[in-house]
Amino acid sequence: MSVKIGIPRGLWFYDYFPLWKTFYEALGAEVIVSDITNKAILNQGVKNTVDEACLPVKIFNGHVLALKDKVDYIFVPKIMSVYEKEYICPKFCGLPEMVKHSIANLPPMIDIEINFNKSRKSLIKTIYLFGSYVTKNPIRIRTAYLKALEEYNKYKEAMKAGYIPIDGYLQKDQSKLNIKPKTRIAAIGHSYQLFDSYGSMSLIKKLQKENIEVVIPESLNMKSINNLASSLEKKMFWSYGRKTLGTALHYTKNKDIDGIVYISSFGCGIDSVIEDIFERWARKSNIPFLLLTVDEHTGEAGINTRLEAFIDMIDWRLNNEGNLSTHG
Amino acid sequence: MINCYLGIDVGSVSTNVVLMNDDKEIIGKVYTSTQGKPIDAIKRGLKEIKAQVRDEIKVKGVGTTGSGRHLASMIVGGDVVKNEITAHGIAALNFVKGVKTIFEIGGQDSKIILLRDGIISDFAMNTVCAAGTGSFLDRQASRIGIEIQEFGELALKSKNTVRIAGRCAVFAESDMIHKQQLGHNQEDIIKGLCDALVRNFLNNLGKGKEILGPIVFQGGVAANAGIKKSFEEALKQEIYVPPHHNVMGAIGCCLLAQEKAEKKNTTQFKGFDIVNSGYQVKGFECEDCSNLCEVVEIMRDGQLMARWGDKCCKWSDKVKDDIEKLA
Repeated sequence: MSVKIGIPRGLWFYDYFPLWKTFYEALGAEVIVSDITNKAILNQGVKNTVDEACLPVKIFNGHVLALKDKVDYIFVPKIMSVYEKEYICPKFCGLPEMVKHSIANLPPMIDIEINFNKSRKSLIKTIYLFGSYVTKNPIRIRTAYLKALEEYNKYKEAMKAGYIPIDGYLQKDQSKLNIKPKTRIAAIGHSYQLFDSYGSMSLIKKLQKENIEVVIPESLNMKSINNLASSLEKKMFWSYGRKTLGTALHYTKNKDIDGIVYISSFGCGIDSVIEDIFERWARKSNIPFLLLTVDEHTGEAGINTRLEAFIDMIDWRLNNEGNLSTHG
Repeated sequence: MINCYLGIDVGSVSTNVVLMNDDKEIIGKVYTSTQGKPIDAIKRGLKEIKAQVRDEIKVKGVGTTGSGRHLASMIVGGDVVKNEITAHGIAALNFVKGVKTIFEIGGQDSKIILLRDGIISDFAMNTVCAAGTGSFLDRQASRIGIEIQEFGELALKSKNTVRIAGRCAVFAESDMIHKQQLGHNQEDIIKGLCDALVRNFLNNLGKGKEILGPIVFQGGVAANAGIKKSFEEALKQEIYVPPHHNVMGAIGCCLLAQEKAEKKNTTQFKGFDIVNSGYQVKGFECEDCSNLCEVVEIMRDGQLMARWGDKCCKWSDKVKDDIEKLA
C-alpha cells in the first residue's frame, strides 16, 4: 500500500502545490489535498488556533484538521527562507510548531526545514529529506524532483499567460472571450488570501463578473519585479513583501491598469507596512486604490459595497459622463 | 398628476424614504428607525410618505441604497440598486455646488468621499472600528442619560474640553467613565467625545487624503452640532450641512432613478399598496455542503418572492421555478 500524504490547501499551497504533488506522486505516494476552504474548515481553524494568528493561519489549521484522520503524513514544511537574504513571514517559520501545539493527535508531520537564507547549497539535501518519507533511493528522489520542477515551471508559465489559480485550480476567465472587458484591475494580496475564494470572499470572481479583466502579481515577469524591488531604499527582506512592492513599482511605472484592489487580512504584520507604502505610491500615480481588510466575518455586504463603489468610481473616471450602471 | 421619483435608503439604524419631483425638489421625506426590522421600516416609510403628499402622484422610478438595498428593491420594486457611496456622492454633487469632500457618518458606517471636477475620485469607509459612528454616540448618550438630540447642543456649551481616547469604542467608553468619576463636567466630556470621534475619523478615513473645501457633512450624525464644530476646529474651515443631510442617500437614489427613467420609461414599482401586504422571512441552513449557508426566503402574503444567502446560488437561481410551481 502506498504512503498517503496530506497537503493542506492553505498558505504556500497556492505557490508550490504542483511541485509537491508531482514530487510525491512520482515517488509513488498518494497525495490527498484537503477540500476547498469552506465554513466548516474555517470554524475548525478558528476554534483551534491562538486568537492573535491571522485568518490565513487559522484557515490552514482548519485544513490540517480536515486531513488529520485520512493520511499517514501531513505536509507542513518549515519554510524559513526561499531566497537569499530573505525570510518568509514569521508565522511560516514557526508553522509546524504552531500546528503541533494547536492540534492534538496529529499523524506525523513532514516538517523539514527549507532555509536558503545563506545559500542554495542545501537544496539537494533538503529534497532528499523530503523524499525520504517515501523512499531512501536518492536517484528516484532526484528524478521525481526534476519531474516536479517541470510541472512547477508549467504552473508558473500558465499564470503568466493569464490563468489564475482560484482555489488551486488554474482558470482562465471565460467571460473575456466574448466581450471586451471594460476595465483592467490588479488584484493584489498574498497568494494564500487572494486565491482562496472563501478567504477573499470571491474577490476575483466578483470582479470578473462585472466584466473586468483581473490581473495578478504572478502574471508579471518576476525578473523585472525583482529588479524594481531592488531599487528600494532599503531591502525588503520579507519575500512576500518584496514581491508586492515590486508589483506596486511595476504598476505605478507602467500604469497599464485602471485600478488596484488590495486584499489583506486583519492583523497581518507585513501588510501593515507594505499596504501603506503601496497605497501612497498608487495615490501619487493617480491610480484608484481600494483596500479590503478581511477577518472571520462571513457577511459580505461590507466588501460588496466597497467593491461596487470602487467599480462605479473607475467607470465614472473613465467615461466621465455619469453613465452608471443601474445595479451595483 | 405630479411625476416623481422614490428613493429608499435602508441603513442599519435608520430607513429613509424620499419623494422628488421632476425639478429635483424634495416633496416628501421620512426618516424612521430601522430597529432591526427593515421590512417593517420600509412599509412604515412608504405609508408615512404617502400621507405627506396631498397631490396625486405618479412614481416614475425607484432607487434603493443602504445595507438593506437588495431587500428594499425586492419589496418595493426597484429600478436602480446602488451602493451608498455612489448614492451619497451623487446627492451631494447635485445639491452643493463644487463640493470637493464629503463626510458621511451614519449608524454603522462612516465614509469620506473625495470629488474632483464633479466626479468621485477617491473614498474610504471605516475599517474595523465603530468609534466614529452614530450607534456609538447613541449608546453613550443613553448611558449618561441625555437625549441624542441634545447631545450636540451640550457639547457647544463646553468651555474646557476633556481629552477622550477615540480609536476604539471600548477604550473611549472606559476613558469617559474615568473622566466622569474624576468629576469633570458633562458638557466637557461630551465635547471631548466629539473631538475624539473627529480625530478618529480624520486619522482613520482621511489618512493620506487631501481634504479640500467645500466640505459637506451628511448622514444622521450631521445633525449633531458638536461634531460639526469639532470638524470645523480640526480642519479650520467651514463645514456645510445640507438641509436634507439625513436623507442624502435616498436623494441620490431619486436622482439615479430619474436618470434611469429618462433613458427607459418604465418602472418596476409595485405601488404603495404593498404596505398592506404581509411579509414573512423564513430562513434555513442548507446542509448540502460544508459551507452551511444561511439561506433567507422572503414571502409576500404566503407567496415566495426571493431567496438569497447561498454561496453557490443554487437556491437563489431556483427561485423563479419554485414561484411558478407554487403559483
